[in-house]
Amino acid sequence: MTNIESLENVALELRRGVIVLAVLSQLGNEQYGYSLLKLLADQGLEVDQGTLYPLLRRLEAQGYLQSVWKLEEARPRRYYVISAEGKKVLPKLKKEWAGIVSVMAKMLA
Amino acid sequence: MKLIDRYVAEVGKSLLLVKGRKDIEKELRSTLEDMLEERARNSGKPADEIAEMELLREYGAPSKVAATYNPNPYLIGPRLFPIFTTILKIVIGAVTLGMTIVAIIQIVSVSPATIAELFTIIGRGFMNIVSACIAAFGNLALIFALIERYAPVAEFKMDNEKEWDPASLTKEPEPQDVKIWEPIIAIVLTFIAISIVNFNPEWLRLNYGDNTIWFVGFGDFVKNQRGSIPLFSEAFFRWLPLLNIGWAAEIILNGMLLRTGRWQASTRLFSIVIKLFQIVVISLFLSGPSILGITPESLVASGVFEAESAQHIGGLAQQGIRFVLGIAIFGTVVDIVKTVYKLVTQKNA
Repeated sequence: MTNIESLENVALELRRGVIVLAVLSQLGNEQYGYSLLKLLADQGLEVDQGTLYPLLRRLEAQGYLQSVWKLEEARPRRYYVISAEGKKVLPKLKKEWAGIVSVMAKMLA
Repeated sequence: MKLIDRYVAEVGKSLLLVKGRKDIEKELRSTLEDMLEERARNSGKPADEIAEMELLREYGAPSKVAATYNPNPYLIGPRLFPIFTTILKIVIGAVTLGMTIVAIIQIVSVSPATIAELFTIIGRGFMNIVSACIAAFGNLALIFALIERYAPVAEFKMDNEKEWDPASLTKEPEPQDVKIWEPIIAIVLTFIAISIVNFNPEWLRLNYGDNTIWFVGFGDFVKNQRGSIPLFSEAFFRWLPLLNIGWAAEIILNGMLLRTGRWQASTRLFSIVIKLFQIVVISLFLSGPSILGITPESLVASGVFEAESAQHIGGLAQQGIRFVLGIAIFGTVVDIVKTVYKLVTQKNA
């Protein structure tokens, strides 16, 4: 493994940790997988499809999201939205995140 | 969009055992079609086969995509693996010991005339040990793989997931501590039962020879063997799946006891569930056709007994098995009561 690959892996690990929070925060309004992918990318968080779609399924299985199939432009799309349980968890995750940012900001200053 | 359809089908092939496969395929197709359309719109090029190929190449190999959807890619996952390795060591040790003893008995009973014959027997014995160990490994892996797939994950908490208090080290050993040999013996015996009943049912026979020597198990030990009678009937083997579930649960329970070293509320509850299950199975044995293969008819067919004595002995055997099963239910109920008592007193301690 080259140094660049190794660095990329570390960066990927760092990003992976925040994807759950990013996804929950963006699903106040319903989105289908690809639209969510673009929404995150537009805000600067590039997420691989191979990471996002299984994550959406996992979060739904854990009860933090709910989904519904809709037919749009003759194409079925699965729309995801944060569930009541997800809404309870989100503020706690945000608080956790704020704590991490604060600690890391001090460490890296 | 032929290539996308084929691509989705390829991904689906690798997700045969994953829950919600159809949903995954549907969502993947929809996403790929969205991406293809958007690319065509942005580039001004048609959404043709070349564009599809480019998109699919970037999306990745179907097997790689499928792997991301598999939440549990393990045959035996990290929660069960420590119990699996512990039990595997015990089972392999016991199988090796058992098969070595069998090989020694064979050498002694056959009394080889030449060195070549002796080495042939030793070689055969060695091969038997190796194949028995491989079979034991395979069977155990199969049992754990089935548990991994179908048993609730919450049943198997790893040691490092539990709260641990260093103060526990200061306490004197409590009566609920498990003696290490108890679960080991239970695991070995259960495994032997599983192996014999499932894979060597021909051992469960009464073998007889000219001199009417009767021997349960290896027919080779009966001189001039003439025939044999199955110990268990077809009715018994019909209940085999239930027996296997009970035995697999016993192995897991004893594996948990071996790892924790003591009875806890969870293991006692698990034990009660297993015992209740055993009562159900024994009741099923009693309610249907007899599980014993030794009947007046089979004894007459053996040619060893006269019709009258066969009737008498066969009848006794049939009554005997019902009596034994009744006693087994009674004993299990007593065990449950004892376990419930210990559970209550342990909680209040």
